[in-house]
Amino acid sequence: MAEALAPRRVTRRTFLGWWLASLLTATVITGLAPILVYFWPAPPKGQKKGPINIALQTPIDQLQDGNAVKFDAPRSPNSAFIMADGGGDNAPGELAFGGYVVNNQGKVNVFAINCSHLGCSVALNEAAKTFDCPCHGSRFRLDGTVLHGPAEFPLSHLTWKQGPNPSAIEVDGIVLGF
Amino acid sequence: MAIPHPREIQMAVVDWLDERYPFTKAVDEALYQRVPNFANAFYYCFGGMVFILIAFQLLTGVLLALYYVPDAAGNPAPAYTSVQFIQNSVYLGWLIRGVHFWSANLLIIMVLLHMARVYWTGSYRAPRELNWIVGVLMLLLVLVLSLTGYLLPWDTKAYFATEVTIKIAGLTPPQQVGMFLKELLQGGPVVGPPTLQRFFTLHVFVLPALIVLLMYVHFRFIRAHGISEPL
Repeated sequence: MAEALAPRRVTRRTFLGWWLASLLTATVITGLAPILVYFWPAPPKGQKKGPINIALQTPIDQLQDGNAVKFDAPRSPNSAFIMADGGGDNAPGELAFGGYVVNNQGKVNVFAINCSHLGCSVALNEAAKTFDCPCHGSRFRLDGTVLHGPAEFPLSHLTWKQGPNPSAIEVDGIVLGF
Repeated sequence: MAIPHPREIQMAVVDWLDERYPFTKAVDEALYQRVPNFANAFYYCFGGMVFILIAFQLLTGVLLALYYVPDAAGNPAPAYTSVQFIQNSVYLGWLIRGVHFWSANLLIIMVLLHMARVYWTGSYRAPRELNWIVGVLMLLLVLVLSLTGYLLPWDTKAYFATEVTIKIAGLTPPQQVGMFLKELLQGGPVVGPPTLQRFFTLHVFVLPALIVLLMYVHFRFIRAHGISEPL
């Protein structure tokens, strides 16, 4: 008996109110959905991953110990290199638009050009044999390790292999498709 | 705890807003007005349909501008390829562009129907002459918007249609004035990238701003005079 006198938690009026409010919300969402879908970036046509052939200005076999040669990603078709590792602002799978081939005590490394602090392009300091970042002053040794902050992580490696001649290398990258 | 009715939530939000600014009063004054019985006819809705279509144009125009590149240099030009990209690659791009295109066509028809209604009901007469003139100015703006928008896809049809239009403008007498107009519209000796840049600027920045301003004036006049009685 006491249960029957208790106020109903959901009245018919409240239920219909919520039902109509839900219907109105669904209508608005249905109207806005095409616009939200339209905002979503379209898949670029012709995008594909694969090795990118690079012609170096200095052949690897003529690269002196402690020297480096810069290279850029091709613009036609517009391409980028894929980082193999990284920390800080860089990460495996992220893209770089340039890199350095370095001969460091006979060992050849290929680094992405992006500083691990905030992604600026590092430049070779030939006198000091370091890579210096012009944005915030980070410096890296030729083996990619940090010499001076604010960067806390080493330069990212690029996956590469020797091409058909000493001036050519193949670097893992992606044709961007735009 | 009882579940609140959605209206209670709505009222709480509106009250909160009203305590900070009289929104309810402002909206009531702007929107609520008794519609006279003689205006309860479908042909009195043509003006409102024009407003809805212009709103569609503004919305879809902004969406198209997210992907459109107003650059006619090169072959194929980015202007052309960006329209192809919208049409074929962007998700629902064909729909947004289609709505923009067909609304533009329908807009001209609706403006003409609205003007015909105003004419046949004598709504252009005193004291509403100025509002009629504002309406005519908006018709001209709609036509110029259509003209400038026609060039933007930068395909063969757009190019040669605009060339013909500019040539017609170039025939304005005296000859010097015609040549001046032609050069001014083209932005150079021929229809080329500067022409597209000019038409784009007019279509996207100048004309929409003008038409929104004139719409505001138009609505203020209607509010001031009320809906005119038929003859």
